[in-house]
Amino acid sequence: MELVKTYLLPVLFAFVASGGFAVIYNIHGSGILICAFGGALGWLAYLASAPILQSEISQSFVAAIVISAYSEWMARVRKCPVTGYLLVAFFPLVPGGGIYYTMEHAINGEISLFLSSFLQTLGIAGALAVGVLLVSSAVRMWGNYHHRRALTRKREERQ
Amino acid sequence: MDYDRLLSLATDLGYGLLESGAEIYRVEESIQRLLHAYGVVQADPFVIPNCIIVSMVTPEGEPMTRVRRMPSHGTDVDLLERYNDLCRALCREPAPLAEAEERLRWIGRHRREYAMPVLMAAYVVASAAFTLFFGGTLRDALCGGLCGLAIGVALTAMTWLKTNLFFKSMIGAAISALLALGLTHVGLGQHSEKIIIGALMALVPGIIFTNAIRDVMAGDMVAGISKIADALLTGVSVALGTAFALGITRFLWGV
Repeated sequence: MELVKTYLLPVLFAFVASGGFAVIYNIHGSGILICAFGGALGWLAYLASAPILQSEISQSFVAAIVISAYSEWMARVRKCPVTGYLLVAFFPLVPGGGIYYTMEHAINGEISLFLSSFLQTLGIAGALAVGVLLVSSAVRMWGNYHHRRALTRKREERQ
Repeated sequence: MDYDRLLSLATDLGYGLLESGAEIYRVEESIQRLLHAYGVVQADPFVIPNCIIVSMVTPEGEPMTRVRRMPSHGTDVDLLERYNDLCRALCREPAPLAEAEERLRWIGRHRREYAMPVLMAAYVVASAAFTLFFGGTLRDALCGGLCGLAIGVALTAMTWLKTNLFFKSMIGAAISALLALGLTHVGLGQHSEKIIIGALMALVPGIIFTNAIRDVMAGDMVAGISKIADALLTGVSVALGTAFALGITRFLWGV
């Protein structure tokens, strides 16, 4: 029961919510399922890494890496841009709560709480960006490596 | 070959990609690859979020340039995929210009879009699921769905009225937060902050911010910085809209 409450339900909600946003961003057909599954997978990574990392920022970083790897893979499989999948699957990780609480502390005049939640929100956003970047750079380097090797091999064959 | 028409074709394809929300590097690469595929050796596209400049030198040595201004636009993944497919197909085997132009126009004319009720249902489902996701109860989810519907209607109406981006987020946030606080006051909702956060997910600029950082790291500084400014301003307008609603209800009900 505990397992259902901490893992299954949030992941299920992330799945449904990502599916909804896939429709809002005009994704059709099986793309919706792929996006929804990406959202669920990202949140599962976030939750599963909690006992080890115990920090929202590092957990977001791990989840970002998992989602980007998944989207790059799906983009290769379906031969279409990564953007769509990445965009929607990220929704559950976006610090919407962070922005809201930052704002609430600001209008209540709680300066130190405001600053700490503001920095926390920025930190999560930064962790997401770095996670995406790490994977997309690695994929590009891998692609270039193969491209270069193919070129050298062709040159050797010619000689 | 008619290089004027080729230049226009490449620029219009880039315009379509950018308009449907493609990243800067994708637009630049697509234009360059297309021109290379048609035999232009030197092609230099320069793209920032609201402008495309394509300059190339024909094999006869004549330089030519085209500029297109990009108005404010949203994201349409289906359109993006189809423009991208067209670009790939043309790069693989360059079709005659007339045919390529016709295929480009066909994509622009035959957009696949969801019917309005389906789109609104998606707003309801997504917001309700996010309310549950952030720890709301089932009754909160119902309110979250209603707030999501309000945001969807407000965004569609204001897009139709060509309202600017920041005002749109501010009004959307204010309407949904007012509705959430009202529903909680009436007794339908239980945790107003969970409802507000769940519905706000449709407005929060997390995606723009992440894309902006990707652009910066890819070396497109101008694009990245203007998108970061966009994300920060949108975030501030969402916060302002919500703050406005909270302030008003506190004043009215003294909560």
